[in-house]
This record gives sequence, structure tokens and C-alpha cells, in this order.
Amino acid sequence: MHEMSVAVEVCRLAEERLTPAELPQLVTVGLDVGDDAGLEPNSLLFCLEALLAAPPFRGARPAVNRCSGDVLRVTYLELDDDRPDD
Amino acid sequence: MTVRTIELREPVMARNNEIAASVRARLAAAGVPALNFVSSPGSGKTRLLERTLAALGDELRIAVVTGDVQTQNDADRLARHTTRLVQAVVTGGACHLDAKQVETALEAIDLAATDLLFVENVGNLVCPASWDLGEDAKVVLFSVTEGEDKPLKYPKMFRQARYAVLTKTDLLPHVPFDVELAVANARQINPELRFFHTSAHKGEGLDEWFDFLRQLARRPVPA
Repeated sequence: MHEMSVAVEVCRLAEERLTPAELPQLVTVGLDVGDDAGLEPNSLLFCLEALLAAPPFRGARPAVNRCSGDVLRVTYLELDDDRPDD
Repeated sequence: MTVRTIELREPVMARNNEIAASVRARLAAAGVPALNFVSSPGSGKTRLLERTLAALGDELRIAVVTGDVQTQNDADRLARHTTRLVQAVVTGGACHLDAKQVETALEAIDLAATDLLFVENVGNLVCPASWDLGEDAKVVLFSVTEGEDKPLKYPKMFRQARYAVLTKTDLLPHVPFDVELAVANARQINPELRFFHTSAHKGEGLDEWFDFLRQLARRPVPA
């Protein structure tokens, strides 16, 4: 029910941790979501996909790892600088 | 292309929890115990608080913050029973109160002249369990017109609550509700739960509830 609030908070964390130049480079947001976190993972994914499709993001993919307990945390941010390999 | 991974392990609720900790510290410094009232819609939170304000309003200085998705109806109802300001938080669609809303509401409350703070959350047994508001304890209400299995269906809320209020007990002769089973279900989730059985309509059980609040106002609840 409150998945959108949580998704907004996840995006806020990403914006806090990344520079403005890095935000469009974000390709994956890794999350741990506990079984007792009070969230429906598919609904959270739906909300995150919608938010991460809009600027300053450019379609980053949320990756949810289900775990036990009431854990709810952003575990990693994956960036792709889009430059060809040297 | 170069893919780079930044490890975070950052709790999503970290910011809310920081604000909640600050609210808790402010309330503790002022010696104001705070209760966060949670339940499904229609369980009788506002009615219990109306009766409480009417009975204890002259004796204890009770501040109230009440949240609703829309309307200030609950705040208006409560304001009729107290001379103190009742803070209304209209969440505009959000299914819970958050710590920032409570922090903002506290700006208009003179904590030095307050014995107790009641926060009436949005009616919802799911989402408010995820938002710490800086309260000392959650009080979960459920009525005899709801199922005995409410605690089993919403275990997170009942696990987090320290007190449970069974409401509308005057309707027990008219509804197939097994009180013992309901209490057993709740204690299965949280053996420490302290129960109050009340009818705000008829007044049954309210004396025990009022005495509990009087004692609480005299000593801050342990965190």
C-alpha cells in the first residue's frame, strides 16, 4: 500500500549518494526486501520502474533480493558510464 | 563501457528513523510520554480518544496529533473535548503518518506544558507499522466486530505494539466474537501485549484505561 512512498525514498537515497552527472548513469538499484517488511515486492518494483524511468534517472532497473525478517535496504547502486572500453 | 558498483547497505527508512529518534529525544527531554494509536479504519480510535479527553482533559494536559487521508473530521471531533490545540495532519492520500509530520506538528505544541501526547495514526493495520514516529509505544486497537484473527493477519503491527485495546465490547452479545481466542491470537504474536477491554460507548473498561494513562503521565515509558 505504501510502496510508492518507499520507492520515492529509494530514489531520494540514490540522488543523495550520486552526483548529478552520475544519476543518468544509474543502471541498477539493488534492494533487500524482507518477508516481514510490510511490502509487496511486485508492487514496489512497479513503483520503482515508474520513478526510475523519469529524469534525473534514465531507466535504471530495480533488482529485489527477497530475504527473511523486516529488512528493507538499498544494497548497491550500479552505474554504467556508457564509454567504450579502452 | 565501465560498470561500477557502489555498495550501500543503507536502510530505506533511515531518514524517517533519524527524525523519529530526534522526536523521541525531544519528548523524553520534556518528559512527555507519547502513544501512537493504530488500527484499521472504524475500530474506534477517535471515539476512545474523545472519551479520554473528556474524562482526563482537566486532570492531564494532553496534546493530540491526528492523521487522516482526507478531511479534518477526527480533529474537529476531538477538539470538542479539549481546550488544547488538536493538530490535524491530512496526508492527502498517504496511508500512514511519518516522523517528519509529527516533528512539524510538535512545533505548535508547548511540550513544557504537556503531560501526554497522543498520535492518532491513519486507519490502516499495514503501513503505519513501517513508520516509527518517535513514540514511546504503539497502542493497537481492534473491535469485536472485526475477526478474532486480526492479530494473525497483521502480525507486524501486533508485534510492534506494547498495548492492545479491544473496543466496542458492548456489542459482544450481538456478534459472534470469541474474546479469549482473540487475546490468545494476539499473545501468540506478542506475549508481552497488555490488553484493555473497553466500550467507549457504554464506558466499560475505561476506568482501567484512564488509570493506566494517569500512571503513564507520571513516568515516561521505557524506550
